[in-house]
Amino acid sequence: MRLVRAAFDEIYALLAQMVSSLFRHGLPLTDKIAARTALTNFVLHIHPVRVRRSWIRMSYTLCLGGLSFFLFIVLTVTGLYLMFYYVPSTGHAFQDMRDLQFVITFGGVVRNMHRWAAHLMVITVWLHMARVFLTGSYKKPREFNWAIGTTLLLITLLLSFTGYLLPWDQLSIWAVTVGTNMARYAPIAGPFTRYLLLGGTVVGDNALLRFYVLHVVGLPLFGFLLMVVHFWRVRKDGFSGGL
Amino acid sequence: MATEARERIEARRRVQQREAPLAIRDDKDDEMIVSFPEFIFKEFIVAVGMTVFLVLVSIFLQAPLLGKANAAMTPNPSKAPWYFLGLQELLSRFPPLMAGVAFPTFVIVLMILVPYVDKNPSRRPAERKLAIILFALYSMIAVALVVIGTFFRGHEFTWDWGWVLGSGQ
Ligand code: HEM
Repeated sequence: MRLVRAAFDEIYALLAQMVSSLFRHGLPLTDKIAARTALTNFVLHIHPVRVRRSWIRMSYTLCLGGLSFFLFIVLTVTGLYLMFYYVPSTGHAFQDMRDLQFVITFGGVVRNMHRWAAHLMVITVWLHMARVFLTGSYKKPREFNWAIGTTLLLITLLLSFTGYLLPWDQLSIWAVTVGTNMARYAPIAGPFTRYLLLGGTVVGDNALLRFYVLHVVGLPLFGFLLMVVHFWRVRKDGFSGGL
Repeated sequence: MATEARERIEARRRVQQREAPLAIRDDKDDEMIVSFPEFIFKEFIVAVGMTVFLVLVSIFLQAPLLGKANAAMTPNPSKAPWYFLGLQELLSRFPPLMAGVAFPTFVIVLMILVPYVDKNPSRRPAERKLAIILFALYSMIAVALVVIGTFFRGHEFTWDWGWVLGSGQ
């Protein structure tokens, strides 16, 4: 019996060590430990350790920047799931979408989540910009973060646009045809840009592959890097706080 | 001693100028708090709420999937994704070089320049009437163009009351 008890204690101690090694701090029972939690935890360290109540009043940010970022994460996760099944070629893409919709477990729901989250993100990013404008939060010393934000808005739009082509149905190919036709009007660079984007003069196999690569690697990577800088600047410039 | 104090006041003034002045706020109920767990918890709740919302919407609202792409069959009207419909709307009204190139470039460049153009240091809405009115105008025009492009443009991208009156299509 004593042996069982000792073994149990041993296992318990081992488990406790494993669990506590996950965190670099104890349970946040006092303010001091809570502060250390925010300071030393990797996931939480992008937050300030101490904040004024007015800064985190939801009526100020309406959570829009945070929501945009959260939607970006949702899109990354659901997007990974879609990538398991989707082949970016004109011969496969449409059938893969149908399979996702009708055959693959949770395929339909995950596709819908990806689609609606993308639309929603365009809206939340735009509203976040409106919030920043209306509270005058772009003023000194945050001018540059506003510029980074503008680039993020453009990337969000481009991500959405490149994704639009991927289902390869009548909606996507013609929307992208209309969209890329707009690029044609720029003098000199216009037709060239369009050619570069489509890998040809029509929306075909090359265009699908290019849009796919931009959609799943190029733009998310660039966007994520910019978001990291964006958040870093929010911390370093100091959050603008309540009005 | 006196110079040192003056220097310190001067330094503080400089710091305050760098920061746009804030509106007066009641510091009594605006204490500094430790962000964990209160702030983090708020974020967590919002994230959970958003997830639940998205899952529910996605269960009941099917994303569109039309027939397979067919380069030989152009749907009429052909429309860009909704967030570009404002641009398409402009293109249908103005010469392409103006609507498709000059105008968007102007908007993007102006947007980046906003913090440098707006020299007003105040952040109080009451003291920023012009900026707010301009932004409201810009937003209303942008939204109106997208709404028109989405709901009021039919065959050949011509004006169509069908969505409101129930006829057409
Ligand atoms: C992918 C898009 C974006 C993400 C994920 C994002 C995320 C965030 C987050 C989490 C904050 C902290 C405060 C808050 O939640 O409001 C913030 C602040 C800020 N954002 Fe963004 N943002 C994005 C796009 C933009 C855009 C389009 C602009 C403007 C053109 C912008 C300008 C700013 C500025 C100036 C701040 C500092 C605001 C302050 O101190 O009050 N951001 N952003």
